[in-house]
Amino acid sequence: MQPRTIAAALAALLVAVPALTRPVQADPVVIRIGYPGVGVDNRPYAYGDTASLARAGHYVEDEFRNDPGVKIEWTFFRGAGPAVNEAIAGGQLDFAAGLGDLPSIVGRSHGLATHFLMPAEERDTLYLAVTPQSDIRRIADLAGKRVAEFRGTNLQIAADRVLAAHGLTERNVRFINMDQANTIAALTAGQIDGAFGDLEMLDLQRRGIVRIAYSTKGDDPTFGRNAAVFVTDAFERAHPDLVQRVVTAFVRAAAYGSDERHRTQVFALWGLAGIPETAFADDFAGTTLAGRLTPVIDPYILARYRDQAARAKSYGLLRRDVDIDHWIEPKYLDVALHSLHLEHYWPRYDAAGHKVTDGTVEQTRAAAN
Amino acid sequence: MDGGWHPQAADAAPAAPRAAPAPWRARAGDAALAAAPVLLLLAAWQVAAARGWLPEQILPAPALVLQTAREEIANGDLLADTLISLRRVAAGFALGAAAGLTLGGAIGLSRRARAYLEPGLLALGQVPALGWLPLLILLAGIGEAMKLTVIAWSAAVPILLGTSRGLREVPTAWRELGAALLFGRAAMLRRIILPAALPVVFTGLREGLANAWQTMVVAELFASYAGLGYLMGWGRQLFALDLVLVAVAVVAVIGLAMNHALAVIERRLRPWQAAVAAPPR
Repeated sequence: MQPRTIAAALAALLVAVPALTRPVQADPVVIRIGYPGVGVDNRPYAYGDTASLARAGHYVEDEFRNDPGVKIEWTFFRGAGPAVNEAIAGGQLDFAAGLGDLPSIVGRSHGLATHFLMPAEERDTLYLAVTPQSDIRRIADLAGKRVAEFRGTNLQIAADRVLAAHGLTERNVRFINMDQANTIAALTAGQIDGAFGDLEMLDLQRRGIVRIAYSTKGDDPTFGRNAAVFVTDAFERAHPDLVQRVVTAFVRAAAYGSDERHRTQVFALWGLAGIPETAFADDFAGTTLAGRLTPVIDPYILARYRDQAARAKSYGLLRRDVDIDHWIEPKYLDVALHSLHLEHYWPRYDAAGHKVTDGTVEQTRAAAN
Repeated sequence: MDGGWHPQAADAAPAAPRAAPAPWRARAGDAALAAAPVLLLLAAWQVAAARGWLPEQILPAPALVLQTAREEIANGDLLADTLISLRRVAAGFALGAAAGLTLGGAIGLSRRARAYLEPGLLALGQVPALGWLPLLILLAGIGEAMKLTVIAWSAAVPILLGTSRGLREVPTAWRELGAALLFGRAAMLRRIILPAALPVVFTGLREGLANAWQTMVVAELFASYAGLGYLMGWGRQLFALDLVLVAVAVVAVIGLAMNHALAVIERRLRPWQAAVAAPPR
């Protein structure tokens, strides 16, 4: 064989081998999404935010329907935000979807390498439930009482803020750390005086187990709880294209869920978690879906996170300061809003919570009850 | 150096106590041996943290833990929580010891009490104190009563077993000695049975205290608003593993100190131990 032919054959091989292997996917990619919470009796569903809606409506799975090489894996953590943080630190998750403001800020203060992609929930109501015969009528009555709270979740900082507004601190209340299931059991058995919680308290009230002594509804509009979607830096570096598609899927879910014409369907999807739909109807009475589920990063949500970080530090929940501005990566959200033509879909609010611009989704308000 | 120690002498009298090195040197040697694994663990921790073998959120560096300890001591929280835990253990242990000594004494001294009580108590004792927790919460709630009960229970079981065994297993020769000296019931109890039983009873007390201390941590981890176990839970919820490790260190050091203190008391209580061989167990 001529040396030249050998060289040509070798060259052909060099060209052919990568060409042959290229279309074959190396390894299937698994997108591991963690959710801070679990449905009643450990149902793999949740409620109240965009991420749980996306999960119930298969938005992320549908986005990758034609990609057999991409697998979506949801994990629901009964230990809520603190457990999600531990899983991120252990390298077991790529996305944290619907992670509350306090746990995400705590995670960042301890150096978890993540990026804030989009809000999943804003203005979520905080409820104080007490036993029916309790003498607790207002926040100030909590001094010296035994109160359950899922510590380390966004309930804690929301409760701390409400206490501060009424002249109390955590030290005035005997807070007992309990997860949601244990809180409900302890309230039912009358072993605690009260508990801070989510809309599941409305269902307990309907069943006569508790009385709602206070809620942030109608109080200072900045008292509400927030949650967001995060990606680990490692996953973002490796798969920016996949991050974009996940964010786009979540924005699609938010758009569907923000439309008042879908109120019943949204509550039904959240209801898969085992919470009766009447609890959602009560929780959302007088408020809009768009106000809760807007994924837009406006001055309002930026101010909320900066403020929560500063307060968490002043309440002694953090040791280090947290920089919010360099944490937020808005480019995936911007691309999603643009590609879905949703730039003007949601209203925008200023830092104080006053509306700056209307959103087109609000035109469907007529359908709301 | 070894002051008159000769192989021939050892061969001739193998049971004779071998000339020991100076006591201080022996003690220093023991301390060094005891410290070695701890120092090794600390060194491994430092290296693991510095090299980043584990994420810093899961294994904070020793320096950070030390700094957290200093802050927690300075702001008074650590001391307050430690005192609350100590108080709980003191009360729970006192209850458990009273129950364990009484029931163990009855079983050890009275054949009838033994026949009635022992099988049931032994069966109950097979279930660890924390195994009773779900039932106990229904009966006693989640407050102090539940914590004291579970701590007392964990202390009572080994104390009961130690006391009854110690009283029962007095060497026959000792009893015969008492009989030969025409001791009455009271003298027999005071001069023969109690001294003979003391070491085993004390082992039970030591074990009971260690159990009480450990059970306190778990009882406080669950449903409490103060104490060292609470501090661990709080640290975990707020992702501050440095705080968890500080609490772990305090629990370990106090547990060790209590065990050591009881060992010293035990030695003081039976000065004859130096002269008399340990009674058979």
